[in-house]
Amino acid sequence: MTGIVSYGAYIPRFRIKPSQIALAWGKEAPEVEKSLGVFEKAVASYDEDAVTLAIEAANRAITTGGIDPTLIGGITIGSESHPYAVKPSSTTVAEILGMGTDYLAADLEFACKAGTAGIQLLSGLVSQNKTKYVLAVGSDVAQSRPADVLEYTASSASAAFILGNQNTIANIVDFTSYSSDTPDFWRRDTEKFPSHGGRFTGSPAYFAHVFGASQNMLKKAKMTPQDFDYAIFHMPNAKFPKEAAKKLGFTPEQLTPGFVVPQIGNPYSASSMVGLAATLDIAKPKDKIFMCSYGSGAGSDAFVIEVTPEIKAHQKRNQSTVAKQIKDKEYINYSLIAKNILTKYKI
Amino acid sequence: MKIKIAGTGLTKFGELWNKDLLDLALEASSEAIHDSRLTINQIDAVFVANMIHGKLSGQDHLGALVASSLGIKGAAFRVEGACASGGLAIHLAIQSLLAGTYKNVLVVGTEKMTDATSSQITSALMGAGSEDERRAGFTFPALYALMAKAHMAKFGTTRNHLASVSVKNHFHASLNSLAQFPFEVSMEKVLESPVISSPFTLFDVSPITDGAGAVVLTSESMGAGVFISGSAVATDTVGLSQRESLLEIAASKDASQKALKQAGCEIKDIKLAEVHDCFTIAEILAMEDLGFCEKGEGGKFVEKGHTKLGGKIPVNTSGGLKACGHPVAATGVKQIIEVTHQLQQRAGKRQVNGADVGLTHNVGGSGATVVVHILQT
Amino acid sequence: MSTPASIWRQHKKLHIYLNKVGRLIVWTKIFVAPSGFEHQTPYLVGIVQFESERLPLQIVDCNEEELKVNMKVITVIRKIGKAKSEDVIEYGIKVKPRS
Repeated sequence: MTGIVSYGAYIPRFRIKPSQIALAWGKEAPEVEKSLGVFEKAVASYDEDAVTLAIEAANRAITTGGIDPTLIGGITIGSESHPYAVKPSSTTVAEILGMGTDYLAADLEFACKAGTAGIQLLSGLVSQNKTKYVLAVGSDVAQSRPADVLEYTASSASAAFILGNQNTIANIVDFTSYSSDTPDFWRRDTEKFPSHGGRFTGSPAYFAHVFGASQNMLKKAKMTPQDFDYAIFHMPNAKFPKEAAKKLGFTPEQLTPGFVVPQIGNPYSASSMVGLAATLDIAKPKDKIFMCSYGSGAGSDAFVIEVTPEIKAHQKRNQSTVAKQIKDKEYINYSLIAKNILTKYKI
Repeated sequence: MKIKIAGTGLTKFGELWNKDLLDLALEASSEAIHDSRLTINQIDAVFVANMIHGKLSGQDHLGALVASSLGIKGAAFRVEGACASGGLAIHLAIQSLLAGTYKNVLVVGTEKMTDATSSQITSALMGAGSEDERRAGFTFPALYALMAKAHMAKFGTTRNHLASVSVKNHFHASLNSLAQFPFEVSMEKVLESPVISSPFTLFDVSPITDGAGAVVLTSESMGAGVFISGSAVATDTVGLSQRESLLEIAASKDASQKALKQAGCEIKDIKLAEVHDCFTIAEILAMEDLGFCEKGEGGKFVEKGHTKLGGKIPVNTSGGLKACGHPVAATGVKQIIEVTHQLQQRAGKRQVNGADVGLTHNVGGSGATVVVHILQT
Repeated sequence: MSTPASIWRQHKKLHIYLNKVGRLIVWTKIFVAPSGFEHQTPYLVGIVQFESERLPLQIVDCNEEELKVNMKVITVIRKIGKAKSEDVIEYGIKVKPRS
């Protein structure tokens, strides 16, 4: 069965608290912690971008799994912050990982679900035996308009999943996807920062697609929320995934290990994938994991994942668990963010 | 060998807005030719030392440019070896005289740096380093700062030791009307100035300068005068990381040993020296590498005043690179001129009594090229 | 000068340097940067001893106070300098303290 043979996650070590962001703009410390449930977010350094983040996560997946990179025959990088509009991030990542030349590479964009879309697309190559391994990465150095409310949550991280048919540590039992043309959050190609539709991003966008994909997944797999040990939903803030989980019939306890948003914010394409990595870091053989991502524009990818006994060996070898990276942090003030904005936009 | 210095010419060193590179080269050259009492037609060849003019202005082909501007139709060359360009040009000119190809040659080192911004200059000068160093964002202050830190860790050299080099050279420059900074500075000023690359402050670092120096050298060595009796070049890896040791500039030892041998001298015969103080640590290393003091003792040697005018062995009476200024390719030639004037008893307030044998020490990059000359009466 | 071709040649060599651990020999903090690095100031650079070679590298993700002679550092891939908006981005190795 096709499944995950190894994975890695990378969370940059700088953190900024909402109060520091508010301070930069001369605003009162906002109720972000109360209303959005985010206490601090991860900030990438001035010399990091979606490509370097992807390399870190993928390198960890390769190293922990003892995978020969030249045997990876497909790679996708899903991101909203690809460094180039034209020139794939995936080939730069592949080159630097030492993947050689015999692989399919494609960059994906679908707001926060570009990473998980890659998992579904690449799994076909493996289950068709076209290649031994494929590598799907979700990576973002998320952009938001300075002083916009999104600035309190938009963060940076990456997660990489290597899929294969043998020695899987977790099987992808089934997956499905639910899509529609919904303009809840977007960025035109000449614009520096994204725009969003305010409350339109809720019910017709996030919730409609998360419910749509999740309900279809449960029906297709003939399972109920109670059949699962853990669940991960895309986390734009702490409120939305908790509400979606509740409405679908999942419990708060099922969400806990993957619930990274209060500590790292929303790293867009890496959000649910880092949540999955965090869950796999502590999962036991036979555990069943439900995951549903969400990408604005809009769509949701849902997965039923079952952990195998091989997970133990991976957990032993993993030097960089999500929990460890969440703890390894250094607080900064707004100056690094200002520097990053000036650097990125050549102001 | 016995190559006579027939004439010298030196411009003011500093931020010279009204003069471009050619103006400076011609000013120094004309003065040197006049001083030599030779005519333009007697000059067989022109060696132009320059490091970064092509990069900054787009003008290459400086040999022909300077020669033709002077009305000289003979051979002309541009010589580059980073900050050792001036010394290298002198060395190559000497070889052409020793070979008998030419009889009278003009060597002019010239650099026009102040038109560019500080970060453009910092980048341009990194051409003297390695590609890896440039990629890592290194600067020359940073490269020498690493050597300083290694020296401080190994030998207990202190920031005060470094600062004493700057204080002494500024004192010398205060006696030199052509120096860029002809004024004294205090230890406090040096120690408390803005940090450029830890532990160096602004006053540990040689400045950005415009200037030119020229000499006429002749193989027709009759009569009394000042002669170059030793001229040697040694090289090492361009990248600092690839050196055997961070605690010395090995090429300085090699070049000085060769040059002293040619001149039939020992280091104790040297009465004064112009050494390459691109950064304060460089002068301390030079004291050790050239053999003026024991390894590791350079800081104390300078701090004790042995290298100040009136001391055991005056070093950098011109003010050195720090206080006289460092128009990169002009420095090597300026060093020759300073020692020449000292040996000719022409150094005025800076005169070293009884000076009859002098040494110049010119370094390229972080120690990849070193040129040492011995001058005698 | 970083041309597309020279960046291409460099990128091919990078995979050899993944996961390399070295020792930090000496470092300095740069306050005045060359062109293309102004946005980073102040930043740390040093010389790192690896098994078979010594390299000049930038040191990231730490403060100067944390650095000690001979401490173990590990390679990371980061952006080099600051590409102009129409230029190819160069990636390369830097080091950070190995926890």
